[in-house]
Amino acid sequence: MSSPITTWEGAEAYFTFAHSPAAIAIILALSVIVVFFVLYNMAMHENESYRKLD
Amino acid sequence: METAELQQKLEALEKAFSMAGTINAEIFYWWCTALMITIHAGFLAYEMGASRSKNALASGVKNILAFAFVIPTFFFFGWWIYLAFPTGFTISEAGADGLPWAMKMGPNLTDNATGVFWAAFALFAATTASILSGAVIERIRVSGFVILAVFLGSVVWILGASWGWHPSGWLTTEWGFHDTAAAGCVHMIAGFFTLGVLLNLGPRIGRFGKDGSVTEMPGHNLPMSLIGLMLIIVGFFGFLGGCIIFVNGDQWVTIFNTPATLSAFAFNTLMGCVGGILGCYLTTRDPFWMMSGALVGIISAASGLDMYYPPLAFLIGFVGGCIAPQVNKLLIKLKIDDAVGAVAVHGVGGLWSVIAAGIFIAGYPNVAEGAPPVSFMGQLGSAVVFALLGFIPGWVLSYVLKKLGLLRTSNGAEVAGLDTAEIPARAYPEAYNPPSRPFPAE
Repeated sequence: MSSPITTWEGAEAYFTFAHSPAAIAIILALSVIVVFFVLYNMAMHENESYRKLD
Repeated sequence: METAELQQKLEALEKAFSMAGTINAEIFYWWCTALMITIHAGFLAYEMGASRSKNALASGVKNILAFAFVIPTFFFFGWWIYLAFPTGFTISEAGADGLPWAMKMGPNLTDNATGVFWAAFALFAATTASILSGAVIERIRVSGFVILAVFLGSVVWILGASWGWHPSGWLTTEWGFHDTAAAGCVHMIAGFFTLGVLLNLGPRIGRFGKDGSVTEMPGHNLPMSLIGLMLIIVGFFGFLGGCIIFVNGDQWVTIFNTPATLSAFAFNTLMGCVGGILGCYLTTRDPFWMMSGALVGIISAASGLDMYYPPLAFLIGFVGGCIAPQVNKLLIKLKIDDAVGAVAVHGVGGLWSVIAAGIFIAGYPNVAEGAPPVSFMGQLGSAVVFALLGFIPGWVLSYVLKKLGLLRTSNGAEVAGLDTAEIPARAYPEAYNPPSRPFPAE
């Protein structure tokens, strides 16, 4: 279950997976990978585009 | 100091505190409404830019008139529909407060809330109508469009809001539905309504060849479209501010009365937004789709905007940004001419949002009396309801308009350009402005 709460009484950090450090680590890692993969892909795309014009 | 005097001072303080809270709430929704006007400035620029120069003003006029017709009709019956139908098709007594002659529906010193809430919802309504507007440019009759816009903005979406974006809406009380920022009732309904209309309206002349070829019809001013899309993003902050309820002296709550913070909205709006941009960039490299991706990203994260871990909102927005352009390509293969990708961005973006919430926030408790917790099946069932509630009225009403000859302009007007046919002004009068290059079948 992604919900760290079963009731709103006394809830504090209630975001998804707030109770699961492993899940948080996986989601954070995935988002970091996406950011850097898009950057890498962008550079590859540029190289290819420039090569076509050379 | 006498006890009576202390008591008097305490009461005065309580009264002042309460009034300050009331006025804070009024001010908050006032500015949310003002920011939402930016959405319409954005749609105006975006759709005019996406039109060929011969249709630029006609597309803009359509936006202005959608706004002008939806606001009064939302006063006449839209707000009543919202208050009257949370249980389905049975009219609730609370609806009386939304009748256009009710004492709450005008200046009233005992009610500081109705006007600003009505205004925020009226702007949501106009936004919903604007979603339809872009898809149908360059060939729809203005009169037919206005009828569709009024029906979508002042009847259909608000019925959906009454069912699934209301503290007592039956989708929440029966199925545990959760959709904080209205991905279902606004975006899905508008997107699927648009799909129904497009099936009857047909493509622009020359868009699809008999041999299966597809002719691109780029707008005359892509930079203007990009600025328009950015304005919509600015306006989204007003829209999302209007999705949270100010409670005097206590924590904010969502429309479903679950506790929330504007900070949660801030985290996830921005993270979802940029996830959508990156998804669209990766799959298209097209600046029009990148900015549309910003919308898709926010819409994708909208249902769980109050609950997601921000990197999760980013990933959900990213997936939405990867999906939407592909859906648009599929529509083109099916010869459905959506000029701006509204079905993919709003319809499918909204669908993904509602489903993603079913995957990632299942188990969160609801607070409406007897309501089950959020569940995947509850979200899925609600998504089906919104899709049908959008598609069926859109298809039926546009079919009736088509039979009445009110849906589509004449071929002559379409080829000459709708500005020439309808508008007593020219977009670029001082420039040499020949008609756009004819497309193959024109």
